[in-house]
Order: sequence, then structure tokens, then C-alpha cells
Amino acid sequence: MTGLAENPFFVLGATPAASRLELEREAQKLLGMLELGFAAAKTYETPLGPRERTAELVRAAIAALRDPYQRLVAELWARHAPPPRAAGLEPEPEPASPRVSLWPKPEARSPKPL
Amino acid sequence: MYALPYLLFLRLHRAAIDARRRDRTWRYLAWSAVAGVMAAALVAFTLVMTAALFAIGWWPLALVLVAWFVLPPLQPLVQRRVLVPLGAVRTAYWLGHTATMKDSAALGLVCAAWAHAGRPRPAGEAWIAARRDQRRPLGDAEIAVTALLAAARGDDDTARDLLRSLDRIVEAHAAVREVAGEWLACDAVARGAWDELAADALAARWPATSLVYLLEGIALRRAGAAISRADLIARWLLAPHRRATYALLAAAEPIAPAAPAAAETVESDGDEPVAPRERAAWPRAIATHLELVSSQASARSLAHAVRAWDLALADDAVRTWLARRALELDAPLGAVDRVLREVARAATDELAHVAEVATLAAPASRGPVGDALARRLRHGRLDALEQGFTRWAARRANTEARAPIDEWREWCALRAAYDTAVAAGGLELRRLAFPHAYTTGTQMAVWLWNARKEYALSHAISAWLLAEALAVGDTEAIELCTRNARLAVPTRTGTVKP
Repeated sequence: MTGLAENPFFVLGATPAASRLELEREAQKLLGMLELGFAAAKTYETPLGPRERTAELVRAAIAALRDPYQRLVAELWARHAPPPRAAGLEPEPEPASPRVSLWPKPEARSPKPL
Repeated sequence: MYALPYLLFLRLHRAAIDARRRDRTWRYLAWSAVAGVMAAALVAFTLVMTAALFAIGWWPLALVLVAWFVLPPLQPLVQRRVLVPLGAVRTAYWLGHTATMKDSAALGLVCAAWAHAGRPRPAGEAWIAARRDQRRPLGDAEIAVTALLAAARGDDDTARDLLRSLDRIVEAHAAVREVAGEWLACDAVARGAWDELAADALAARWPATSLVYLLEGIALRRAGAAISRADLIARWLLAPHRRATYALLAAAEPIAPAAPAAAETVESDGDEPVAPRERAAWPRAIATHLELVSSQASARSLAHAVRAWDLALADDAVRTWLARRALELDAPLGAVDRVLREVARAATDELAHVAEVATLAAPASRGPVGDALARRLRHGRLDALEQGFTRWAARRANTEARAPIDEWREWCALRAAYDTAVAAGGLELRRLAFPHAYTTGTQMAVWLWNARKEYALSHAISAWLLAEALAVGDTEAIELCTRNARLAVPTRTGTVKP
């Protein structure tokens, strides 16, 4: 879902209530951090999980937020989205029931050396 | 005179095996025991005769006696224990001929394909395929052989689909169906699809070999059927591969049904999904949408998401907020409607993709997302079906004949596409799709019967069209398809009168 995964507010790490000036400042800060290779700037949080942040994505996000219509769309998604999802621990898999191969199966054969 | 006891034992042996194929009760075990005793008697009688011939120096005749009279009752054992591990395709083919009198080549080919699975070689596959292609018209043995060859290449999905398609064809070789049923049972066990196996057992879909009888018993016990431990042990003792199946036997206990998941976000009222009242429409729509795309989609979760979107897009509070923000941001005129349309389109695109992948029907929700989703799924599925049936019928006009097995595979693929679309689209789509399927299907059935002499294949199409005509209530189609489906079908096992 592009409205969430590449939402300009999530890309810039800003809230929908942020002013135009705050957004511009945040974009410049992120571009500088990305230029210097800061690890903290390389990903951003979304409700779908962490995504990779690039300089192109930051420039596209700030450009979108300068357009009133696109900002309206971005605000609608960002305001109502659930909180960003962090990577969680995976539950232990349930013990599987025994599986037995009773019919002859083709085997993956390694090629013979020449 | 001396052959009379042998012929009597042979007759009883065959009768016991035929009786066993019709039964899945304690009699199955009884008939198996009778068949085993008869086989032992046949072998013992022949060996006594052979010893006598050796004693008087007629050893060439003794060897002939062994070949002709000992091997047939031992064919199932030799096939499973010797020929399959060795991959002895040609021997399995010829020995398969000795196990039955009626159309013995059918079982021979299936035994050859089974042996091929033991040690697949390109030459063996080519030999079997050549023999299969010589047999016309198409019957159950040719389909089963093609399936087993696909399985030997590792293409289990194709093998499964082809073997499942056997119940659509009227020609029925009991021994061929036994092998097909055994492959499907072993495949279900390997995949852990015990429910599928239990359903086959309850429907008695295939005549059971002793291995299938055991696996079905385990599946039924796991499903909670009244199969006692003693019954299972008796089945296990009768079946081959006891060392491999011991783990299954030991673990064959009824599986407790999973407790229903706690309804954290949904308060259900019958089938209609209702969202919790405390959460606003938009956050709820986005949250249910994310839940749907991040987990395995079901009809219920799709309906829940569609309903949530329709409620959100009709929410006056959000519309008012949007209008205010549009003014504050100096957005262009009509921005609010455009935003809502854009969101509805994005949601519909993703929900349609989810529904297509999971072959789900469009939920009955009226609103911008519900209506658009229903329209898109119906049109997409109908278009795809019509294209498929049109391509199929075009081959008849071009007289582009294919091998019978390829005709069968194309027909099965079309039918699967039709069934999937109809299952997802409901009766409305079924009524829309049937007329085109009926026209092309009838033309193909007539062509296959009259021009290609593929009677069983043609009958399968007519029988399916009749079932569909009855489902949609098309009286003209019912009349014609009834006449076509009632024609006596010539097969290698005799004429079948449906």
C-alpha cells in the first residue's frame, strides 16, 4: 500500500501537524545524514514495518508535501494509520506431525565430474 | 484334471480381491486374509508340481510352470518389493499383464510408470509414453500413467490434478484406480494433508490397497472417527512399509479442534462482520486492510476489510475534516472528492489482488470499494474464462488435433479455471459464464465423439455440462446435455451405460 509504505510524513519521520518550515528542515537534515552515511537515517518506520530511506525518496517526499493536494492525501493516510510496526520475536513453531514419504521420489542428483 | 485345483484357487483369489475392493469394514481384513491364503495355496500347489517335473527330468516345463503360474499371484509383491526399487520398467509392464485378464496392458503400463518412479530414466519415460500414445481412445490408465510420469519428474501438482481428474472418466480399471489412490494417499501423507485423506476415505473414492486402508484409518482416527487402536494395528500388520508407517501409527491420536481465536477487534453478529464501536472508521479500515494483506486472506477477513473501507469512505466526520484542511492548504477545487476516489481506487486495487490470489468471492458490501471490487472481479474472471473457452473451440475449427492426453489436460485446466471463477463469483457469475462454456463445450464434445472417437473424454465434457446446466437452470441445455450424457460409452472395460 503506497499511501502507507511511501507516505511522505513517514519518509521524513514527521507528524502530519508539522509546518512547511519544519518539514523542509527535516528533509535537509536527512539528506545531510544520508550523504554522510549515518546508519540511523537509512531506514524509516511505517505501519508495514521498517523501509529503506534513500535521498531520492526524501526529495520526492518533500516535493509531494509542497503540493497542497498531495499533502492532503498524505495527511489523510498518516493521520489514521496505526503506529509503526517494530520487528518482533517469532513464536516457536508448533511440533509438526510425522511426515513419511511412502512413494518413490526423484532425487536431486549432483552432476558427475567430467 | 491336475489344473482344476489351481483354477479353483485362482478364481477364489481373484474373487477375494474383487470383494476387498468394494469394502472398507472388517470384511476388508477378512477378504485380504482369504486372498493371501489363496495366493499361498496357488504358489504352493505350483511349486509341488514344479518339483515333481524336476524329479522326472522335465525341468524346461517346470520353469515354464513357475513363470506362468507362480508369478501372477505374486505380481503385487514382486512389483512393490523388486521392480519398483530396481526401476525395471519393461519387466513391470510385462508382469503387469499377468495380474489381470481384462485389458491387461492398462495395468501393465501403470506398473511400468510406477517402476519408472523408482529410478527415473529418460529412456524409460520415452518407452512408456510411446506405449501410452499407441492406446486409443483415452481411458483412465493413460491419464494415470501420465500422472505417474509427471510425479517421477517431481511435478507432484500435475500428478495430483491428473489423478484427481480420474473420477470424471467413466472407464474404470479397478487395479489402475488402486494405484492412483495409493499415490494420492502417499502424497497426502507426505504433505500432512490428513483432512484430504479422511475425506477420500469417507467418500470411498478409490479402491483401497492395504497401504491406503492403513493410511485412511490413521487419517480418520486423527479426524476423530471411531477407529479403534486394535483395528489400526490390524491394518498396519496387513500393509507394506511397516517400518516407515510405524511412526504414523504411533502418532495416530485424535487431534483436538483448535480453540477459536479471541475476537480482539471484531464483535461478530452472524455472518456480517461488525467492527468495534470505539475505533473510528478510518483507523479501523486501514488496520483491517493491513491485517488482511499481512495474513492468509479468507472470505470473512476480505468482507471485513471491504465493509470497513465502505464505512470509512462514507464517514461524514472525515469528509468535513478533509474539506477544512483543503481550505487551509489552499488545495484545488474538488480536492476532497478526488482524494476519496484515489483512496478508494488504491484500496480496491489491493483488495482485488488479494481476492484473485486467494480466489475469493466479492463480498456483498454496497459502497465505493464493495461495488468496484465486485465489478472488477466479475469482469476479470469472465473475460479470462471466455478467452480460454474460445481458444479451445478455435482448435476444432482449425482441425488442430492434439494427442488425447493433451486434450484431456486442456479440458481439465479449463474446467479448473471455470470452477475457481464460479466458486469465487457465486451463482451470478456462474449464470453469466455458462452460456459460452455450453456452446463451446458442446461443439468440442460432438467433435471428440464423432470425429476423434474419444468417447470417454467426450462423455466427461457432456456430463459436466449437464451438471452445470442443472445448476443454472438452463432448460434447453439440460435437454441436449441429458441426451448426450446418456449415450452408452464404449470403453476397453466394456460399454458403460450412464
